[in-house]
Amino acid sequence: MHFDPVANLQLLVSGLAIGSIYALVALGFVLIYNAVGVVNFAQGEFVMFPAYIAATFALPAVAVFGGVVHWQLPLIAVYLLVIVLMVGFGLLFNRIAYYPLRDRGWLPVVISTIGVSIFLRNLVQLTWGSQPLVLPPLFPVDTIAVGALHIRPQDLAIIGVTALLIAFQYVLFERTTLGKQMRATAQDRTTARLIGIRVGRIVAITFVYSALLGTVSGLLVAPLFTVTKEMGALIALKAFAASIVGGFGSIPGAIIGGLTIGVIETFGGFYVSSAYVDAIAFVILIGVLLVRPSGLFGERVAEKA
Amino acid sequence: MTLDRKNFLVGTGVAAAGAAIGFPAIVGAAPEPIRLGTIPCLTGSNALLGSQEHDGIQLAVEQINARPEKVYDGRPFEVVEEDATNDNQSAVSALNKLLGENIVAVICPVLSTQVQAMAPVMKSHDIPWMTGGTAVKNTQLGVGGMFRLRASDGITAAAMTNFAVKEKHAKKVAILHASDAFGTGGADQIVQNLKKMNMDPVANEQYPKDAKDFTAEILKIKQSGADALLMYIQNPSDTAIILQQLRSLGFTPPIVGSPSLGNQTAMETAKKNANGAYAAVDFIVGFNSNVATHFLTSFYQRFHHNPDVGSGSGWVFDSVNMLAAVYRKQKSTDPKRTIASLKSLKGFEGVLGRFDADAEGNMVHSVSIGRIEDEKLHLVKTVSA
Repeated sequence: MHFDPVANLQLLVSGLAIGSIYALVALGFVLIYNAVGVVNFAQGEFVMFPAYIAATFALPAVAVFGGVVHWQLPLIAVYLLVIVLMVGFGLLFNRIAYYPLRDRGWLPVVISTIGVSIFLRNLVQLTWGSQPLVLPPLFPVDTIAVGALHIRPQDLAIIGVTALLIAFQYVLFERTTLGKQMRATAQDRTTARLIGIRVGRIVAITFVYSALLGTVSGLLVAPLFTVTKEMGALIALKAFAASIVGGFGSIPGAIIGGLTIGVIETFGGFYVSSAYVDAIAFVILIGVLLVRPSGLFGERVAEKA
Repeated sequence: MTLDRKNFLVGTGVAAAGAAIGFPAIVGAAPEPIRLGTIPCLTGSNALLGSQEHDGIQLAVEQINARPEKVYDGRPFEVVEEDATNDNQSAVSALNKLLGENIVAVICPVLSTQVQAMAPVMKSHDIPWMTGGTAVKNTQLGVGGMFRLRASDGITAAAMTNFAVKEKHAKKVAILHASDAFGTGGADQIVQNLKKMNMDPVANEQYPKDAKDFTAEILKIKQSGADALLMYIQNPSDTAIILQQLRSLGFTPPIVGSPSLGNQTAMETAKKNANGAYAAVDFIVGFNSNVATHFLTSFYQRFHHNPDVGSGSGWVFDSVNMLAAVYRKQKSTDPKRTIASLKSLKGFEGVLGRFDADAEGNMVHSVSIGRIEDEKLHLVKTVSA
């Protein structure tokens, strides 16, 4: 296969776009893990569920519970509405799936998140049925042609919004009291409580923030991938792998891990085989863990003899 | 008369015997229902196909049970449904559960990969197995009672290849297919047909289950210089996403797809991205019989949306009606007699057209090529095996 610079640039844009989505979802995993010490297995549903809500409000006709609703609100209004609803969803998730089990160890909470994941998929099936929905794109044009290069504006939007969110998160964690409280809670909840931080509230905010990261991912990919109840599952799986590659618990690691997996699997699909694109992500994961068991940005843990 | 223990026991015994012998005759016992097994994929990524299958079966059973004579002699159909979900193991488990339910026939899931996984269990049960799975192998698995109510991939792939090469004058044909049994089986058939024309595909790309980004596959196809693309994909949602990405990455040569490309859901989801593409399909709305017109009308009235006729609701609707017709004619649901009747069946008119069984159990022997414009298929030609 000859080297084609245009094809490589195309692959890079596409890889960065899908990698950005992995990064956002991986951030959701990491933030909740840091805050409460468990992996949230409903993170994929944080991507899927808001996409269904958005499609319901944005499309001219959507079958819901066997009837048909006709909202067709402007896209910006839909985005704002979904974000508000998902704030409530994050709070509810915290209150139902985490809060009652917070003192019972990590396993009941993990099982609880798996339960919510299954519940949400079944709820979606019952509510919207099996028909895929297509959320309108942010931009009126599908593609911008620059010579032989075809760039999807939606890909650029994904990369741009992810960059903005990462910058926002940096400012939040480094420059604001709330961010510092979130970091303190992540590092040591007992000490955070002793110095007057309302840990329960900070954990709730973390769940909300994680839900919003999933929401943004869902709204960004929905026009490209169609809205189906399976849409979040594979993204979450890759994002989980990304967060391990980056070093589980590391915020920069989640971002770099997501982008790395996105770019390498896209190039791997082109240069190796598209049939093994999923395997490529997990070969990377195993390779990184063999060389660096704590991940790219994970802290080395040594045991004293 | 005093009611002592002996009189009580005698009286109770007489009453019980009377109830057992005479009571049903007096009040008219309900005729025994005919239990029909179904295994659609109700959950998982193929739930769309499964829900269409469920609806098609439900509609047919409701219509038959609404007749005064029901199937025959007042016996109604009773559906026993198990979820095949999205994987082979679940489909086999569902089948095993179903076989303990006193069923007389099974309408299989539409996924060929699941049909093939179930075959070892099916071989040991002499009942009719109605399938819409189109992999050529499905009727060559050694399952005596297997009947296919759609055109096989052999017919579809040949029609697609001939259309691309002979009608669209393609000299460099590329293939894009799913990595499941349906996709790989169809792609193999296309390769065989190309070889008969002394051609090889310039690219033959497959994608893994649940893939969403097809940039790598599309760029490889573009780089191959393909002047036609043949797609063999089952999932309508995948088909719609691929069409969107093909258009956005500037792919312009003719696209000819397997039946899912002409599937109503795929066309409605892909919207303008499907315009100009061709599909080899079992059924085209507007070129249908009275049976099909009645089916389309009643389906919409019942479920408030259009059916995916070919891969979804049509073949199962035909399966139920075909079984009912056979049971009615032979006044029996004996599975061996039913299999024999189905093997000799000729000229049955269904939604998908005329059914004539061959020795392997294939009942449909032609497909239509349609061109998609504005979410509708327009007949280009009909191709017979």
